[in-house]
Amino acid sequence: MSALFVIVGGSIGALCRYWLGLIFLAWTKKSKMPLSMLIVNALGGLGLGVFYHFAFPSSSTSSLYLLVGTGFFGAFTTFSTFSVEAMELLQKKAYCLFFGYILLSFAGTIGLFYLGYYGM
Amino acid sequence: MLKNSIAVAVGGALGAYLRFVTTLWIPHSSFPYHTLFQNIVGSFVLGALTAYFSLRTRREWIKVGLGTGVCGGFTTFSTLAFDAVFLKSTEAFLLYISISLGFGLLAVFLGTRFVRTFVKERGVRK
Repeated sequence: MSALFVIVGGSIGALCRYWLGLIFLAWTKKSKMPLSMLIVNALGGLGLGVFYHFAFPSSSTSSLYLLVGTGFFGAFTTFSTFSVEAMELLQKKAYCLFFGYILLSFAGTIGLFYLGYYGM
Repeated sequence: MLKNSIAVAVGGALGAYLRFVTTLWIPHSSFPYHTLFQNIVGSFVLGALTAYFSLRTRREWIKVGLGTGVCGGFTTFSTLAFDAVFLKSTEAFLLYISISLGFGLLAVFLGTRFVRTFVKERGVRK
């Protein structure tokens, strides 16, 4: 039963990442840094922080957390695309972009999660 | 577009389900090994898929279903942020981020290598 919450949240999360990713891709076409998934990940970090702030009393095994936290935000954000895009920058020897992309991804996602959770 | 969206939704559901199941399998400790496992394995697979699709042409819905859907749904950056913020010491925080980043990149490299070693380029197949 709990798997069903993860599956529903996960499919909606992945779909939102795909659609938003396409929109952000069009917006950031001129950027040399792959900003699209960076923005999606940062938004997902903020979203999970805000959600966890309000849903904290219900522990991380509750069905609401499985649907929104594990399912939706888990699938909305992605680490595999981050790794692949970072590796592509490294292989192009674009070192400044590579380090900038890594720094922005980690600082953005973790920082906004922190802000969402403690700042609310 | 509809076909691609359906593929992403189905792939995302499968990826999230696999993430959920592996989280249950991996014994819980104060260090988030399960997220590391998911992000590193997912990076390997997406690295391999990206290399494979650069060698063999496949339909768009297959690419986005497996890549954006399954790998994207299986790996997660928001849980990484969650784990990192609630780690007890600065050492654990830095260690967790370094392992995620270092092994994530290594996994992409190995996934790409794996495909380039075993898959030979073949023409367009529709």
